[in-house]
Amino acid sequence: MKRVARAAAFAALTMSASMTVAADFPQPLAEEPVPSVAELPASYPDSWIFVHDFHGNSLIDARGVIVDVAADNNNVRGQIPISHFGSITPSPTRSEIYVGETFYSRQTRGERTDVITVWDTKTLTPKGEIVLPGGKRGQFVTLVNSLQLTNNDKWAMIFNFTPGSSVTVVDLDSRAVVSEVDLPGCSLIYPTGARGFASLCADGTMTSIALDAQGKPGATVTSEAFNDIDSDPLFMTPAMVGRTGWFVSFKGNLRAIDFSGEAAKVLGSFPIPAQSGGTPEWRPGGWQVISADRAGLLYVLMNPKGGEGSHKDGGTEAWVIDPVAKTLVRRITLKNHSISVEATQQAKPLLVASRPDGSLDVYDAVTGAFVRTVASVAHTPITMTAVRR
Amino acid sequence: MSGLDKFSEKMTRRVARATSRRSLLTLIGGALTGAAVIPVLPVSRAQAQGHGGGGGADPIAPQTTGNPQDPGDQTKCDYWRYCAIDGFLCSCCGGSASTCPPGTEMSPITWIGTCMNPADNRAYIISYNDCCGRSACGRCSCNRNEGDRPMVRPQANNDINWCLGTASAIYNCSTAVILGVALEQK
Repeated sequence: MKRVARAAAFAALTMSASMTVAADFPQPLAEEPVPSVAELPASYPDSWIFVHDFHGNSLIDARGVIVDVAADNNNVRGQIPISHFGSITPSPTRSEIYVGETFYSRQTRGERTDVITVWDTKTLTPKGEIVLPGGKRGQFVTLVNSLQLTNNDKWAMIFNFTPGSSVTVVDLDSRAVVSEVDLPGCSLIYPTGARGFASLCADGTMTSIALDAQGKPGATVTSEAFNDIDSDPLFMTPAMVGRTGWFVSFKGNLRAIDFSGEAAKVLGSFPIPAQSGGTPEWRPGGWQVISADRAGLLYVLMNPKGGEGSHKDGGTEAWVIDPVAKTLVRRITLKNHSISVEATQQAKPLLVASRPDGSLDVYDAVTGAFVRTVASVAHTPITMTAVRR
Repeated sequence: MSGLDKFSEKMTRRVARATSRRSLLTLIGGALTGAAVIPVLPVSRAQAQGHGGGGGADPIAPQTTGNPQDPGDQTKCDYWRYCAIDGFLCSCCGGSASTCPPGTEMSPITWIGTCMNPADNRAYIISYNDCCGRSACGRCSCNRNEGDRPMVRPQANNDINWCLGTASAIYNCSTAVILGVALEQK
């Protein structure tokens, strides 16, 4: 009996509390429509980046994550799938995102289909696809220069590896294959001039191949050898300042290549100014180790434990380099060990450092001050691509 | 090293011929070697550094061969045969250091390394055949990058999915098969 009385008293108390709250809010919450699906702006702000989640533990279920790194919350704005060692390349001018990927009809077996999937930036729904012939799309840990655009974003170029190398050129308007270019001994795609691309070659040179108006390969120009692959190779992903690509080498030498003309022009090289405190020495380390802001400053992810074999180990500082003055402007100490860096293209840029645990740390690129962590963005945030116009 | 490289190349070609995949080799001329996929690597290595090597997970129970001439734990990255491996260790995925897990297909071309066996002090040629046709195993990721070079030199690059010439290119895990003693080592 005593227990019953106590329960009744509790119920009365609860009811009275509810009535008090209801009196504070005379109107109930509005009913909400179903279904309800969010949309994005067709053109993304400069503070947004694409994070390629390589998803090492489930490669067929990788994805691209669209992240607003400037917002206080609601940072993750959407996701699109990227199947098995794929690539993601946005085109702000076309309001489309292109994903090079591979499917099997029974997920891990059956008929292989390689495609470039075309995604709408506003709805994040697939608008179409271009089937790539031959089942030869190159598969490797993400390198953004495996899928690039040319001809005012009318064509996409995708790198094949069988292990023979070639490039398939596709027309994004008609969504059809335009041509295929053999690329013996060379790897990846660095767009050149109005139509065409250059490629880094195993003999240390760079080969440039112009494409005619029909997409057929024309003149080929091969540079002198400049890439010392044995002792100090260049990382494959450059930071782009306009049409100039800044590559950094394993030992910290910066090399500029001008891609504005029909043939790539290999420009000068200079070392990142040496700094003490490394054991044995400071070296670039990570996966996407160099980025550039709109003003042309370079950000290099640096590892104090640099040595042979350290080049993928990530880093603990980002060094800001002025490539014109050839000076080290600032050292940004990162809060966490990071694997890739990317600068946003805002007037006041942010520097994003991705962590092996899948979170992103965001810094004020001008002062180096830590701004925020965007937690749990990806399983494996291997590369990042800021919105660039 | 050049002598070793030549020997490795020869061994690789032998493997390729034995598996009728010579056409693949010819595509990249004389430079080819082989395989060893390595998905997760850079990240797993950084993770190991960030978390003291354990990543916070409970340890995998050790697996030894029981043969004193083949010492070490085949679930650990420091097992002697894994000196140039990159990927998930098949020993942790239903296979062994030299066997693919049930239902997968072993890649016919491989990345070759030369590893010193601490028990008999011999240098062995090790073939890092990938196992293909199941999604990423996800256990015992191991990445060693000494001698690794960027994609511009594919035969020295462990970031490539070498599940080439298999019915399915989906990557599962990597083995470390003894091909023989590196007799020509200098």
